[in-house]
Amino acid sequence: MPRPEVRMVTFSIDGREVEAPEGAMLVDGAKYGDVEIPVFCYEPKLGQPVGACRMCLVEIEGIPKLQTACSTPVKDGMVVHTQTERVQEAQNSVVEFLLVNHPLDCPVCDKGGECPLQDITFGWGRGISRMVEPKRHFKKPLELSPLIAIDRERCILCYRCVRFSQEVSEDYQLILHERGAHSYVGTFDAHPYVAPFSGNIIELCPVGALTSRPYRFRARPWDVEGSGSVCTLCPSQCNVELTVRDERVLRVLAREHAGVDDGWLCDKGRFAYQSIHSEERIVQPLMRDGDELRPVSWERALDAAAAALGRARGSVGAIVGGQATNEEGFLLARMLREQLDSADVDSRASGPLPLELQRALATPALQATVPDLEFAHTVFLLGCEPVDDAPILDLRIRKGVRRNGVQLAVASARPSSLDPNAALSVRYAPGGEHAFVAALAAALDGGIGCEQLARDAGADGSEIQELARLLREGGEDVVILWGERIGAAAVPALLAVADRLGLAARDGAGLLEIPAGANGRGLREAGVLPNAGAGLAEPVNPSRPPRDARGIAEAAAAGELAALYLLGPDPVRELPDAGLWRRALARASTVIVHAATLTEAIRDHATVVFPAESYAEKEGTVVHPDGRVQRLRPAIGHPGAVRAEWQVIAELAQRLGADPILTGSMASAQLFEAVPFYAGLTLEELGGRGVRWQERDAAAAAPAGPAAPYETGTPLAALTSQANGTLRLGTFRSIWAAREVEMSPALRFAAARQQAELSPADAERLGLSPGERVEVSAGETSVSATVVVRGNVPEGTVFLGEATETDSATALTGGLVEVRPARVEVPA
Amino acid sequence: MRGPGGGVVSQKLLFDRIDDPGLNTLPVYEARGGYESLKRALAMPREAVLQELLDSGLRGRGGAGFAMGKKASFLPKGTMDKYLVCNADESEPGTFKDRELMQKSPHMLIEGMIVAAYAADINRSFIYIRGEYQQQAAILEAAIEEARAAGYLGERILDSEHSLDLVLHRGAGAYICGEETGLLDSLEGKRGNPRLKPPFPANQGLYQGPTLINNVETLATVPHIIAMGGAEYAKLGTETSTGTKLVSVSGNVQRPGNYEIELGMPSREIVYGLAGGPEPGREVKFWFPGGSSSPVLLPEDLDLPYDFDAMAKAGSMLGSGAIIVVDDSVPVIDVALKLAKFYRHESCGKCTPCREGTNWTVKMLERIDAGEATPMDLDIIASVQQQIMGNCLCVLGDAMAMPLGSMVAKFRGEFEAHIELRRGQAGLGAPVEVLA
Amino acid sequence: MTQQVSRYEHGSRIPGWDDAVDLTKDAAVVPDPATTPVPAALRAQIEAAMARYPDARSAAIPALHAAQELHGWCSPEAIEQAACVMRLTPAYLTAVATFYDMLETKPVGRHAVYVCTNISCSLRGADALYDAVREAAGDDPDFNVRAFECLGACDIAPMASVNGEYVGPLELADAATLVEQLRAGDEVLPEKQLSRRACADPGAAS
Repeated sequence: MPRPEVRMVTFSIDGREVEAPEGAMLVDGAKYGDVEIPVFCYEPKLGQPVGACRMCLVEIEGIPKLQTACSTPVKDGMVVHTQTERVQEAQNSVVEFLLVNHPLDCPVCDKGGECPLQDITFGWGRGISRMVEPKRHFKKPLELSPLIAIDRERCILCYRCVRFSQEVSEDYQLILHERGAHSYVGTFDAHPYVAPFSGNIIELCPVGALTSRPYRFRARPWDVEGSGSVCTLCPSQCNVELTVRDERVLRVLAREHAGVDDGWLCDKGRFAYQSIHSEERIVQPLMRDGDELRPVSWERALDAAAAALGRARGSVGAIVGGQATNEEGFLLARMLREQLDSADVDSRASGPLPLELQRALATPALQATVPDLEFAHTVFLLGCEPVDDAPILDLRIRKGVRRNGVQLAVASARPSSLDPNAALSVRYAPGGEHAFVAALAAALDGGIGCEQLARDAGADGSEIQELARLLREGGEDVVILWGERIGAAAVPALLAVADRLGLAARDGAGLLEIPAGANGRGLREAGVLPNAGAGLAEPVNPSRPPRDARGIAEAAAAGELAALYLLGPDPVRELPDAGLWRRALARASTVIVHAATLTEAIRDHATVVFPAESYAEKEGTVVHPDGRVQRLRPAIGHPGAVRAEWQVIAELAQRLGADPILTGSMASAQLFEAVPFYAGLTLEELGGRGVRWQERDAAAAAPAGPAAPYETGTPLAALTSQANGTLRLGTFRSIWAAREVEMSPALRFAAARQQAELSPADAERLGLSPGERVEVSAGETSVSATVVVRGNVPEGTVFLGEATETDSATALTGGLVEVRPARVEVPA
Repeated sequence: MRGPGGGVVSQKLLFDRIDDPGLNTLPVYEARGGYESLKRALAMPREAVLQELLDSGLRGRGGAGFAMGKKASFLPKGTMDKYLVCNADESEPGTFKDRELMQKSPHMLIEGMIVAAYAADINRSFIYIRGEYQQQAAILEAAIEEARAAGYLGERILDSEHSLDLVLHRGAGAYICGEETGLLDSLEGKRGNPRLKPPFPANQGLYQGPTLINNVETLATVPHIIAMGGAEYAKLGTETSTGTKLVSVSGNVQRPGNYEIELGMPSREIVYGLAGGPEPGREVKFWFPGGSSSPVLLPEDLDLPYDFDAMAKAGSMLGSGAIIVVDDSVPVIDVALKLAKFYRHESCGKCTPCREGTNWTVKMLERIDAGEATPMDLDIIASVQQQIMGNCLCVLGDAMAMPLGSMVAKFRGEFEAHIELRRGQAGLGAPVEVLA
Repeated sequence: MTQQVSRYEHGSRIPGWDDAVDLTKDAAVVPDPATTPVPAALRAQIEAAMARYPDARSAAIPALHAAQELHGWCSPEAIEQAACVMRLTPAYLTAVATFYDMLETKPVGRHAVYVCTNISCSLRGADALYDAVREAAGDDPDFNVRAFECLGACDIAPMASVNGEYVGPLELADAATLVEQLRAGDEVLPEKQLSRRACADPGAAS
């Protein structure tokens, strides 16, 4: 789907000759001549204009009636007037009409001071109203959801919020009821408007009708400052503007970036800022004193940590969580390699990937961008659920399908929320990822072996053939959006698929990986991998094969590693095999962690705890999944005694003999120098919008991966559910499974709780009904969950969430589980 | 040169023996020569059929009066999915002609649709009938079944290359669905909100495809045009308002009902001659010439010929051809308030001037009726109507503003007197005589 | 003497405006067929309607008509069932249902008596007729008496649509008869049914 070419046209507005892109609506075209045309309902992000509010009426020579500037494209030679008496009369009229039932309660309205209705009334209104009838009066504000309050008196029925719900997020929960002057915004049968992107309607509302409940009455626009940064709560890395008052983040707004977020935010990104100011946060260093962690001075904590690390030289393993910046990861990996004689450092949760494959995936020619999702012929989702894994991409995919006719194909184990939008959805069995991708490669290659591989994948061979046909014949620009979760073993097969589709050869085609961690890509490029240094370089003379994340856990549990350094993650909650990690933490003599809050594992096992920064305090860079290097800027100062984490690592390294690093920008500069394909990058160049490194000259320095053909490997067959009643276990990580969600009072309601998703047939066979509590067990391990029955869950599989607050599926070992009713506690 | 045209049609076209028993069934309709026009049309090239429609000068009978043949010719050529939609959402107050046609001669409409679809090369068609017309829907459904069974609908009609699928779609009670784009949204299963134009339905209508939308009476006329030839049809009526027209006469007349007239007939002959005029002792006070959306005319305007141009020239419109007569026993405020409340109820709420303007107008009129107004409020009412007119997304706002504006302008004195009267009755001071 | 002019009025005439959501409920997504039982006949009716259109969403109104016929009104349950078959959110169908006058979003009596009170009928006494019918029906829960906009039968003004049957011209005395006949299950005012009426145009008969 080629992107439309832009041609400039010349038209006249208020007597001025103006050049504007052809096809731009007059409202936008007028801006090229510094003419502002007022609008309420017009918002190009929402799709086609609706022309409902009538605020933008203008006079166009040759057309007798006034025209809506929001829906009239500029044309060569068009003559437009926005200042004539007729136009002013129309503008005055619309303002007067809109205010007929508006309460004008600006002094007690959160929108006051940043309200388009206020501004437009002031700028284009008559200044008086002739309406003397009683105004309508209603209860207000009312809850629309736990996050959003609605004030129906203030609503001007501009349709923005309902269009968002219906045509952007497509959750279709928010609607207009009734008609005419009785119309009002609401939901079905008093259900709350709870959806992953609901908060966007607050920002869209041009009046004070939809307000944020957490922000309600916290500040007025003149009390606050806006601070631009990047949200690092997931790999989407949306650009945000943090509203700050007195060193507190009070609100998060979108900072529109077409290359990243398209101007939207998910509710986690929008509301989880509350976790920044949580009482639970650790704001000073802690050290173990017997059974307890006690606050200590920075000097003591750093000295103790450095001493312990020094003692464990050669026997230190480090795990870096997905939210760490490039600089933090880079400095930590360097400290391990250079000061501590260890290469046991990892940031990949899904297992190790050979360096040459890592490099092949990083090939600039193979890299698809976020906007490519919108203009591709076909977008193929493989083993990912965008709404959970990188929410904002979900909206971009919907946009492509809805507006540009992008063909969508889905292949996943768990039913996808994008299935209804897909031309084809294919299911495979959990664990069948490798076999599935290999089968697809085979199907693209003529079909030999496809059937057997499909069987191994627990998928339907003819569906895979159909998928192959669709990818091959649906147009050359294919973007494969895939999740790190498909596992390292499937990567060669994926590269084979990309090769057979010729993705590297085309600009708008390619691969786009959703890593498990928010900055998964940046950490790998910064060298936070056991098998690669900064810039995906060959590691320098490792004395022994370095250990990956699992290897580190196993070695620690076996007593082979003396010290563990955890930059960010609570491995018991977030990494596979919680039991193994519990043993590893218990066995290691030194456990140094960076943590925002005390989780059970940290409370029980940490030796030294450094307080973690929130992303609003961080300085540094991260890399978007499509290679955009983005800059984090501190919006607020550090609370309590919290220090920059890069600085903590740098000071440890200094104590262990490294050169000092004085500023954050120095750390960034060292990183840019160490990664050949970042060469010459500066923070100034990154600015507020970031830079895709593939688009810079230095990209030529990216190390080459192996050439095709790729061996697709010998996949293991997926497990099958057994006659004895065991089911295959499939896992996913919900958007709501995050500490930040649990720590934000407003979002607490949404925090993921463990549910066992079953097919109707399995539920019936096991005698389970929706809402029932069950034990799901694998061998010795088990978790409790609540039964959810879904018609689209494939028979034979139960799906459980990872990283839930309790009962995370990571506790289960083994791919087959039993699901039994929970024992009912009988009161004594 | 043709004559001034206009009169009671000696030979009825649409209403010819309309009460014949069983005319709603296929055998009776066929026995009277039904579907002969279809056979004749299918034997002609599409272009020739379209030319007959163009030659007939037939103007849309739904309200806007746009030339039907021209509208059909706007549809792009090509093999894309194109749609014909019959607008049977007859909801304009005072209009009930389509109801009688559909109820008594459904096959005439179906035949007209097949021919029109053939002319515009369309293969899918719909009749959007208002939900309240349950009996008519049942009759049409039965007739469509008969026509399908007889090979008039479906694949390769009468062994020609032409195929047409016809679906009857029942609405659920919303005046705005009579507006063609509101109708399309409703037919697509949405709220019946009108769409922004352009794009016009001829280019992007139902399901984004090119769509021809015509009123029941318009389409039912098509078989007659084919039967007599477009040029012959054009000899009926006046030069710019050709043909016969069904007129619904209602309100304060002695014989309300539908009458088929030749366009150009003097209005007085319709109101008095056909419909019997007001009850003895009563006079016409004012009348709506084209449904409740048309600006009102005065008794002296009854001498105008009843056709598109004469009505437009008098500052009103022929609209749907529904004459509502109001006699001198009725206070103008009653009609104005009724009207405003109707449009407030039926406004879809999408665009500001219509949604708020209709609502505000009702409130002001209610205040007048409650004795809480002053003559200045009449200026505001008039001004609000001006603010609505031409500024809305569709014509519904104008449909209130035009007649209401005309009432305030033409009966200002009566409104003022009413204000004084009510003020007195409400105990807000003695009435003051209104100066002329 | 001064009159108090209130600056605000309570808008409770407008259904829903004062309603908050119930935060204990879950979000209303597309109903899962696994947990939303739909009567087979209703499902068949809706699926048949969906098959008639190039885009199945066009069946929204027919589906709601069918659900209303079964449940008596477009109850939340009725809407959920229709939404389940059509694979839409219940909100989608609620937006449609509340837009149209004939789709009832509150429980109503099974006898629908729509009295036309638009201009042409009101010029001939429709408002008094409406009052009379309401009075005759009293608070009988079986009756759903509504003042309706122009029903397209001004030739028999004042008139009413009684369970879809158009009757008129009605006199005030007909109100009681009409109600009694409905209660008794009899045909309503047979001599006044529109379906039996000849065309007013004298030329049409010749």
